[in-house]
Amino acid sequence: MSFPVLDEHPRKATDAATLRLFRARTAAWASLDDVQALRDRAYEIRMRAIDDLDAHLGQFVTALEAAGGKAHLCATAEEARATVARLCSGASLAAKSKSMLSEEIELNGALAAAGVEVVETDLGEYILQLAGEHPVHIIAPAIEKTKEDVARLLSAVEGVAIEPQLEALAQAARRQLQRVFQQADVGITGANFAVCETGSICLVTNEGNGGLVTSLPRMHIALLGVERLVPTLDDLSVLLQLLARSGTGQTLTTYTRLLTGPRHADEEDGPEELHVVVVDNGRKRIRDSRYKEMLACIRCGACLNVCPIYRQSGGAAYGTVYSGPMGAVLVPLLRGLEREPGLPHASSLCGACTAACPVKIPLHELLLELRRDLVGERIAPRAERFAFTVWSLLWSRPPLYRLSTRFVRFGSRFAALAGPGRVWAAGRALPQPARRRYRDMR
Amino acid sequence: MRRVQLFATCLGDLLFPAAVADAAALLRGAGCDIEFPPEQTCCGQPAFNAGHRRAAARFEQTFARAFSSELPIVCPSGSCASMVAHRMKTHYDIWELSAFLDAIGAEPPARNDGVRIAYHSSCHLLRELGADDAPRRLLERSGAELVPLARPDLCCGFGGTFSVRHPEVSVAMADDKLADGGRADVLVTADPGCLMQLQARGARLGTGRVVHLATALARGVA
Amino acid sequence: MSELVDTFVRNAEAAGFEVHRGEAPRIAGAGVSRADYGVAATGSVVLAASHGEPRARHLVPEVHVSLLREDAIVADLAALFAALDGRIPSALAIVTGPSRSADIEQRLVVGVHGPREVHVVLEAS
Repeated sequence: MSFPVLDEHPRKATDAATLRLFRARTAAWASLDDVQALRDRAYEIRMRAIDDLDAHLGQFVTALEAAGGKAHLCATAEEARATVARLCSGASLAAKSKSMLSEEIELNGALAAAGVEVVETDLGEYILQLAGEHPVHIIAPAIEKTKEDVARLLSAVEGVAIEPQLEALAQAARRQLQRVFQQADVGITGANFAVCETGSICLVTNEGNGGLVTSLPRMHIALLGVERLVPTLDDLSVLLQLLARSGTGQTLTTYTRLLTGPRHADEEDGPEELHVVVVDNGRKRIRDSRYKEMLACIRCGACLNVCPIYRQSGGAAYGTVYSGPMGAVLVPLLRGLEREPGLPHASSLCGACTAACPVKIPLHELLLELRRDLVGERIAPRAERFAFTVWSLLWSRPPLYRLSTRFVRFGSRFAALAGPGRVWAAGRALPQPARRRYRDMR
Repeated sequence: MRRVQLFATCLGDLLFPAAVADAAALLRGAGCDIEFPPEQTCCGQPAFNAGHRRAAARFEQTFARAFSSELPIVCPSGSCASMVAHRMKTHYDIWELSAFLDAIGAEPPARNDGVRIAYHSSCHLLRELGADDAPRRLLERSGAELVPLARPDLCCGFGGTFSVRHPEVSVAMADDKLADGGRADVLVTADPGCLMQLQARGARLGTGRVVHLATALARGVA
Repeated sequence: MSELVDTFVRNAEAAGFEVHRGEAPRIAGAGVSRADYGVAATGSVVLAASHGEPRARHLVPEVHVSLLREDAIVADLAALFAALDGRIPSALAIVTGPSRSADIEQRLVVGVHGPREVHVVLEAS
């Protein structure tokens, strides 16, 4: 389905936000001595883990368990939901720190059905949860909301009018979420990376909620995509040099947290139990395909911030958990191309995403390959395949090209009536074929 | 005399023959002897980009029969040059027009004194061919004052079939590009696809002058 | 050594720390931690959870103070991880400034869940 353009206000907000993040990333990359070399190293590190995924996963699990943590390997989203629900049985309140994977597996609904109140503690995610909406950008989830929107949502929680003023809103959120941090039985987070050699989970945040939900509740559940493995701490240091710079332009986010197993016996706080729910949900199948480079994605959002389609349509237009260029590639691969045939075409192939990706995923090349598969697997409509076949048979034969284009001026009168010509003509003048072709002029 | 083959491109042949003639004039003015292989048609990029590889392969064969790989090929289109350079099995000495003129040290006639020109880098020229400087240098040497676009990185919204699969977004992208270029007297682009998109939207809006780089250099836009 | 310290101070201040030399500021209600390391390239303090250093200490109070010996400053993240030398704590926090968020209209607000004000006190070795 054709993407709509956002209404004026959300469009301006999305444009301003993505432009700011784009400029911040560009400045941060420019401040590095050799960002190209760093990107090459990052690509190598990601692909090293992906190319030998099972061995690295095995190493991670062994190290995690040696540190007192527990691993739960889940092949499907359903298994992951059931596992988390089982771990949470007996819990009444779960405090969540942002996790796109939890959105992907649709966790919150499953926990609510199991009688667990789940509260998002990341400010943007909390706002969206109050609004009953989903994130539209990987790292700036509530990118379209105004402070008036936020004031309305936060005021409804306390039954008291809160000023639509930044400080007041932040204080209100802090106040409202304090109870959650203090009373939650379980903390649920994502995991930016998992380090195989130490069995550690790495969490990258700016607010501090990631730390609070992994310090106060007695159980910590970390959701980990099986492809987010990093072989060593030294490898992690390379990726950390790129992640924040690429996502927000910061050198590092305020909190970069390395969590290795549950609390030690003599510590005053920290979870007694640490469970890492490792989710496949189609990733191993991608690893076995020619699209495996897509698994290198570190969810920084840099591609969203340069995408000329994203800035017009916003994230919700994609209709999926992950939007923008990385979503257009990843979602058809996770869900199956036949279920998401439109996404690879939600792009003008400008290539800005590939240039912006810190781990050098050739995003626009992968989109081209997906389009090739749409045709090869006969998912593209027969009429379309027929049209291109006929066009190519005509125009690849010089005599037929010459013949058919002699009459193109005549045919163009009717082009506005149907098909692509009609679609074009809704907003643009129809191009007028010249009276004489170039080949006739010389 | 430097012999070159001219690839008009299908859009050039059918919609913008004057721009192709301007390209030929610039090449002759720079001392080139131009051959126009008559069996040329289209490079096949619309099919390739839409995933129709068999269709694209037919065009690749036709291209191979029409053109020699021994002589340079010059075409007034970054996207077509990129298609030939990166997506065809045979290696050709293929050049986009401005990259070629710049490489041979061509001096464009000084027809643009006092004209304020905004240059739109087409995506292929900017990212796949890395030839962003040549068009600007040539425009400046023709006397133009280059007005930088606020968002030179943004695509014009053509993208082949994208322009009709997502027409609302495509038109919005054209609008933003035209508005950005509107601070200058003329918006210049080196790609027939971008040219078609921007001229078509500009015509519907009744605003904005968009011209091919070859025309801006050969005849001037004063 | 002092170049490393200077780099640390510059980056820590850019990250939003108030850096002191010698005397710790007295702020009522502030959490005070001994930092295990400082990272010069990023201007970060590194806090390892342990008996006596709960995780929540650098998160719950509105003001947090880290005491850092100058000779505990390492060059960058790779050096930090190498310095750990296999002794990984249950929780290692690399803290680079105050708690912040830009989730509302992309405008920066400080002190959302963690501290709004963060200090580092450098102690000469």
